[in-house]
Amino acid sequence: MRLTAPRKTPRRWLTPVVTGATLLALAAGAWAQKAEEEPFWAKGRPKSGVGAKLEPVPAFPIPTAADQLPINKIKLPPGFKAEVWASGILDARGLREGDKGTVFVSSLFVAGKIYAVTDQGGKRTVKTIAEKLFLPNGIEFHKGSLYVATPKDITRYDNIEASLDNPPKPVMVYDKLPGEVPHGWKYIRVGPDNKLYVPIGAPCNICEEKDGFAKIIKMNLDGSGVENVALGVRNTVGFDFDPKDGSLWFTNNGRDWLSEDLPNDTLNRVSQPGKQHFGYPFCHQGDFADPEFGWGKNCNDYAKPALLTGPHAGTLGMRFYTGKQFPAKYQGAIFIARHGPWNRTQKFAGDVIVAWPDGKGGIEKWEPFMTGLVENNAYLGRPVDVMVMKDGSMLVSDDHNGAIYRISYKP
Amino acid sequence: MSFGPRTLAGAALLVATSTAAPPALAQAAAATNYAERYAAVCAACHGANGVSALPNTPSLAGQPSFYAITQLFLFRDGRRDSGPMTAIAKEMSDADLRGYAEVIGALPPAPPTAPGAPDAQRVARGSALAQRLHCLGCHGSAAEGTRQVPRIGGQREDYLLIALRGFRAGTRVGYGPAMTEAMAGIAPTEIEDLAHFLAHLPVAASP
Repeated sequence: MRLTAPRKTPRRWLTPVVTGATLLALAAGAWAQKAEEEPFWAKGRPKSGVGAKLEPVPAFPIPTAADQLPINKIKLPPGFKAEVWASGILDARGLREGDKGTVFVSSLFVAGKIYAVTDQGGKRTVKTIAEKLFLPNGIEFHKGSLYVATPKDITRYDNIEASLDNPPKPVMVYDKLPGEVPHGWKYIRVGPDNKLYVPIGAPCNICEEKDGFAKIIKMNLDGSGVENVALGVRNTVGFDFDPKDGSLWFTNNGRDWLSEDLPNDTLNRVSQPGKQHFGYPFCHQGDFADPEFGWGKNCNDYAKPALLTGPHAGTLGMRFYTGKQFPAKYQGAIFIARHGPWNRTQKFAGDVIVAWPDGKGGIEKWEPFMTGLVENNAYLGRPVDVMVMKDGSMLVSDDHNGAIYRISYKP
Repeated sequence: MSFGPRTLAGAALLVATSTAAPPALAQAAAATNYAERYAAVCAACHGANGVSALPNTPSLAGQPSFYAITQLFLFRDGRRDSGPMTAIAKEMSDADLRGYAEVIGALPPAPPTAPGAPDAQRVARGSALAQRLHCLGCHGSAAEGTRQVPRIGGQREDYLLIALRGFRAGTRVGYGPAMTEAMAGIAPTEIEDLAHFLAHLPVAASP
């Protein structure tokens, strides 16, 4: 099967394509060919030594009880305070706020659900508004509607905040996404141009360029008019629009298994929508040609990252700070959640960092912001998304614990 | 699948305990009673020491606790389907999942009851398949399992067949597609050799 062919059904749920009569026609050798496959994340893993034991951090299927959350481990700059905003939200990932203050929360492999958290004077209620979804990581709230993106389609729940107890049947917006599992889960936003921005990750750790993958696209809100925004993007699970000029900034996860310290994840800015190639699979972090696909390629032919965010760091959700609560120095700065690496023996990140744009398309400096969740080379928590609330405080989701923290500032 | 009256009674008891008792009381009981509740609810099918003598029913002895809780969760969530387990897990609280998983994780590894004589040729073919499919890369070099990945060495052959066929057909899913993808590379007749090989592996100590 050609990987470029649009696939209606994701492989995860596929009953075997080859069955019955075709099966009898197949020689045994055909099976042997397919069978060399390891799980996609394990391709290229070292065959011996400590590296051979690395694997994704398994997700515990029960959220951590509120009184056992690592809230007292969290470190912040002076004047900031972290508190548990909501708990018991299994696999809490993406965060979006509705017009009426509902916070929508997405999830991924473990839960497959979309939640809505409502606040009644400090008492919060968590409702599951959709379940049994296929890796529904991508959500966006826009003009009363909740958009939900899976690896294969994007649907819309209209007037959702008025019907949390009885959500409407979703309307199909776009059903032509490839549906691949590897890097198929989404992060979606509606941009200042009123278009829906959608990434399509590489269907592998590292593989040759394939039409329709490793890019960010945008479309009209009804799914029409698809166009490319950025090419050569391996897997972005976080982006936002610069409040100064509307340009798109995105985080990107670097390839696995090259080495403990290379390549870095990156933060990037799109200065020429539709025209830039960010290097994957030929060139990583702006200056490092891939040992397999980089021969004959020059890293200077590709768009350079604005910031390197650490090897295998799992750099995910990001947001420009536009609130009024934090000190003035954070105005217009970018907060970025780093999930923390699984494919690195020395764990780090598992934090939120803050980076300041230099006004010329780059980053002037960055600092750790919310830290303390890595202990004894293991994660106490793993931040996924950050969201600035209407009151200027910031929510941080933690899928490891199934919790959402609120960070506020009081001088 | 047969479903003994003792288990049904156990399930009923479980429901009664988790719904009728006041929360504080239920929690206090939860901390201490899961070994007894395992004996009442699980043992009839899975064996008092976790070695199953019941056709098509897995042994739990030596399974990692993380694997046990993950499967209980998938049963409860309706994502792994099995008549009896779906019914039992549906009534479990988070504390129940933790409690049962801890008890299961503490059952020492033990050899299967009456596994039958190994067929040397099928074992050899199964062994080659296990290499080809990288089974032991995740399941451990002695198929002993770790964390969310189950022990498969010395598991009941009939159960292994059900599990592998389920993954292959896409009717059994985990969080990720790893097993479905692995089984996409195997012919139906090969699954039988693979199950035969795994069932006859010596039962290794837990990691």
